[in-house]
Amino acid sequence: MGKLLAVIRREYLERVRTKWFLIATLFGPLFFLAISLLPIWLASRDEGTREAGNVVVIDATGNGLAARLVEALGDSAGGRPEIVTVAADRIAAAESSATAAVRAKRRVGYLVLDSATLAGERARYAGRNAQTLTDMQRLGRAIDRAVLAARLEGTGIAPARLDSLTSIDVRLQRDELTETGRTKGGGSRNLAGFFVAFLLYMILAIFGQNILRSVIEEKSTRVAEVVVASVKPDTLLLGKVLGVGAVALTQVLVWGVSALVIGSRVVPLLAPQGRGGAAAARGGAPGAGDVLAGVSFEPGVLVALLLFFVLGFVFFAACYAAVGAMVNSEQEAQQASLPVTMMLVASAVFMQPILLSPNGGMARTLSFVPFTAPVVMPLRLAATSVPAWEIAVSLACVAAGCVAALWFAARIYRVGLLMYGKRPTVAELARWIRHA
Amino acid sequence: MTDLAIDVRGVSKSYDQHVAVRELSLQVPRGMVYGLLGPNGAGKTTTIRMLLDIIAPDTGTISLLGRPHGDRTVLDKVGYLPEERGLYKKMKVREVLRFLGALKGLSQGDADRRIDAWLERLQLKSEAKDWSTAKVDELSRGMQQKVQFTATLLHDPELVILDEPFSGLDPINAQAMKDTVVALREAGRTVIFSTHIMDNAERLCDAVCIVSRGEKVLDGRVADVKAAAGTRAVTVTFDTTPEGAVLAVLRDPALVAQLDVQGRKVELETAPGADASRLLAALVGAGAHLESFSRVQPSLHRIFLERVGATGVEAGMTGHG
Repeated sequence: MGKLLAVIRREYLERVRTKWFLIATLFGPLFFLAISLLPIWLASRDEGTREAGNVVVIDATGNGLAARLVEALGDSAGGRPEIVTVAADRIAAAESSATAAVRAKRRVGYLVLDSATLAGERARYAGRNAQTLTDMQRLGRAIDRAVLAARLEGTGIAPARLDSLTSIDVRLQRDELTETGRTKGGGSRNLAGFFVAFLLYMILAIFGQNILRSVIEEKSTRVAEVVVASVKPDTLLLGKVLGVGAVALTQVLVWGVSALVIGSRVVPLLAPQGRGGAAAARGGAPGAGDVLAGVSFEPGVLVALLLFFVLGFVFFAACYAAVGAMVNSEQEAQQASLPVTMMLVASAVFMQPILLSPNGGMARTLSFVPFTAPVVMPLRLAATSVPAWEIAVSLACVAAGCVAALWFAARIYRVGLLMYGKRPTVAELARWIRHA
Repeated sequence: MTDLAIDVRGVSKSYDQHVAVRELSLQVPRGMVYGLLGPNGAGKTTTIRMLLDIIAPDTGTISLLGRPHGDRTVLDKVGYLPEERGLYKKMKVREVLRFLGALKGLSQGDADRRIDAWLERLQLKSEAKDWSTAKVDELSRGMQQKVQFTATLLHDPELVILDEPFSGLDPINAQAMKDTVVALREAGRTVIFSTHIMDNAERLCDAVCIVSRGEKVLDGRVADVKAAAGTRAVTVTFDTTPEGAVLAVLRDPALVAQLDVQGRKVELETAPGADASRLLAALVGAGAHLESFSRVQPSLHRIFLERVGATGVEAGMTGHG
């Protein structure tokens, strides 16, 4: 026991004492916030720079739909469209000249409105930005409004009232109803889920690699042999996993406490208008305040999160340590660690679809797979409410996975730690596991 | 309490198709310096790793200091220097030694006191320069070996196991290593070391075990081993390196069974049936000028070559050191 503590102590102190630990602990949250929120922020800023308006509108409807469209599009759409009114049989010629204008980069594209558009069926667009989702959505909405206005006018409604009748922009405010109650601001909770899962994923990946490297170092410097002449390889493995785990936990706790302090002291100062729903109602991008407001968990959920973190850490740490014992150099490790990395990446790949439906079939299935659950379940816990029994079963699955991973890892570690030379084949690995 | 520091009985170990150690038994009494001799690949390192319970034997039993294997507390009384030396490169010298000491059950206070004593003794700590606060990779290779050696002996082990302790040492450090082995014996400790350098073994060891291809060739006290090797060994010193008729006599299989010409000095073994006086007469008859002619006990080196044979020795391994 004292020896296990000595191993844990060394693994812990050797990491915590480095400059990198200090830097990562201080600036890690900023970094995570930046890489998780930057894309969202950039996407929201993108609205101002789009080019939906910088087009030629070929109007063959004969009733001035293009003018209504330009009005519906507004001024903020990146320039006023050029309207070309043509007869239905002259569309082809107008398209040719519009194509030339696009090629000459005077315009980004052209839109063709004809009788089918008036009938509410279709319009055609061709342009360089045909793949830009925001531009196309904007054009589409503007066309809908223009057609609606044209139809309303056809029923005899005064043109002066058209604008107020057609400008509809309803925002759907989402409250989540669960067994335990009601939570506001589903959108920001999604974001919180993403944030928590992404953080976990990054920690597992970074510290997994860290363990892998440290085993390779012990192997290549041959210090492993001195150590296992005093303690069992199992003790060394366990001490390493627990020691490095304690480092990760320290970091997460520092971040968690500072997030709480920032959340309770700083955010109210930054966002005096209120939290969560208010910002969403303004239609702006969700800010840090929204995320932190979403990350206000019940104690039970916090404990579950912590358990998933610890178990997930042990699972991946054991796997990476086993890989480290198999190889002789970091170059070899890159290949050999691929299966483990794939297990980890699998959970990251499914983050997006799970967020779309956090209680769907895929989300629930992946919550019971030992290697995806440590990321998927916290994601769901943060994003939605999960029945207690699912949490319990998921934890049990991860715990069983942990025991299996430790068992296999210990056997590979015992043999591999003193093996040099050729990397073992799968058959040889199986023999190690049998005979260790 | 048994008087055996090491008791190995019928131990075998195979890897895949390759047998590393076969039916090995050896007993090392306490307070002895014991040499485990053999060419590379003879199974010395495998044997030592089994002694330390780093790898498990397929068959057979091992006890250290009277305790059967499985009782790992006995390892706290064992010091081990592996053939491939290595320490945590990014750690400070004192931290490494404290850690390795803690693994042997040393408290930090005890460890610090002993670390200071050892580092001062090995000139790694003085008024001018204290290397204990330096990182391991800032030390020269020789200094790193001293630190490693300190780690082996820091907890004052009763049994010291050294795997090829002289490999990679410069002559000064090699001498320091020999002095330490002698000092350990004087302090009543048991030392077992593996080597293929017969000179060191002959000078330091009370008893030896020669292994080849995983099997014991012979073992026993050095004096007994030499006596048992017979009295047919002869050392001749000529005034010049033997050639011509003199060399022809030395190469006559009726007179000489084994020959090792080392310049003017020649070690040989007379053929069965021929005795030393017949050889002497033949040499003189061939016109040899002799400085000395003596019947001797064979050196361990000779016994090793004879018993292990050319087949057991890998290319480039002569046993000279």
